[in-house]
Amino acid sequence: MNTPSSLEDLIAALRCLPGVGPKSAQRMAYHLLQRDKPGALRLAHTLGHAVESIRHCAKCNNFSEEEVCVLCRSHKRDAGLLCVVEMPADLLMMEQAQCYRGMYFVLMGRLSPLDGIGARELHLERLVRRAQEQPCEVILATNFTVEGEATAHYLSTLLNAQGIKVSRIARGLPVGGELEHVDSGTLAQAVLERRVFSE
Amino acid sequence: MSAHKHRLENQPAFILHSYPFRETSLLLEVFSRNHGRLAMVARGARRPRSALRGLLMNFQPLELSWFGKGEVRTLHSAEWQGGQPQLQSTALLCGFYLNELLLNLMARDDPHAALFDYYLMTLQRLAHETDHAATLRCFEKHMLQELGYALLLEHEAGSDKPIEPGAHYNYVIEHGASRDVEEGLPLLGKTLLDMAADDYHDPLSAQQSKQLMRMLLNHHLAGKVLHTRELIKDLLKN
Ligand SMILES: [Zn+2]
Repeated sequence: MNTPSSLEDLIAALRCLPGVGPKSAQRMAYHLLQRDKPGALRLAHTLGHAVESIRHCAKCNNFSEEEVCVLCRSHKRDAGLLCVVEMPADLLMMEQAQCYRGMYFVLMGRLSPLDGIGARELHLERLVRRAQEQPCEVILATNFTVEGEATAHYLSTLLNAQGIKVSRIARGLPVGGELEHVDSGTLAQAVLERRVFSE
Repeated sequence: MSAHKHRLENQPAFILHSYPFRETSLLLEVFSRNHGRLAMVARGARRPRSALRGLLMNFQPLELSWFGKGEVRTLHSAEWQGGQPQLQSTALLCGFYLNELLLNLMARDDPHAALFDYYLMTLQRLAHETDHAATLRCFEKHMLQELGYALLLEHEAGSDKPIEPGAHYNYVIEHGASRDVEEGLPLLGKTLLDMAADDYHDPLSAQQSKQLMRMLLNHHLAGKVLHTRELIKDLLKN
């Protein structure tokens, strides 16, 4: 069978999505063209619009439609705190937890030397410049994976060298967590990082 | 090995690296003591409540059970062995460096039990000691030896003339140290003998051994770049 070239192009284009191989790309293309043409048009339109209008906020590096995003323009936030997270989803979690009223910087990734992602690929110098704009404490809220830890270490070295105060969010047992049900890695680290109990 | 299903139980192993795989799984690069380097899928390991999540950590001694015998095995279960503090700060970056070396130089499905034990000991040293450079030099030397690229440190190349501490040598790749060649890396005899004894207290030995190791590793890496080396170098600049 001869596949029309525009269909071939669509299948090839869909493969840029993470986890989408040739088979699923073909399935998606057939679905869009046969079962959901209006959906396909809407997808094409919104995708084009998003790609053109979305950029990175000049201050926090999160996705934004404006030069500086709403959060960064807000006067209700504490400019003396700058929280560094890996991904926009992490920022949303922090906001949902309602525990933090400071500013953010979104790395859009983490250092992962074994995947070839180093300091240059992450544009860490932008974070240093942001932290230097005004006196602030930088709170490192990267993940507690080995890559997240390496990123936190790298950033703390970088920022300390500029005389900037740096802290790391704490880790331990989940709230309401029972020792019986927690994984060994978490428990071992919680014992290692135990705190003195004082009145 | 059981005849059918090819299931292996409670094998001492480390995770060298992991990649996201499909929606909720992980693809693991495993260094197992008895079966060498293996690729393995950990199904569902990226689900929020997966019991594997806090277990499949790099630099932690584990016991893994898996089945399958193709290019990619399937992880069945993992047991935490403990006794290894999580690597912090520079020690953590050094740990990545060890893993990057192993991933680039160790072939799949080739058991290296002695190297596994040396890796375990090296992680302990990284966690408890402060002179990481010496720890890395020891590991590099033992790794090359276990992988079949042993350094010639106590005798001159192609002879049984012992290396003299005060003499000057040139070290030539895949040949060894020699007094009568022009090419190669110039070294003091003491550096070679210190390396043979895993002793890096002498600053000159530390410096020359680093150059020698860099030359030899680059040769064996055949053009591959060590990203971790770049990262540590960048960090030390600050
Ligand atoms: Zn912003």
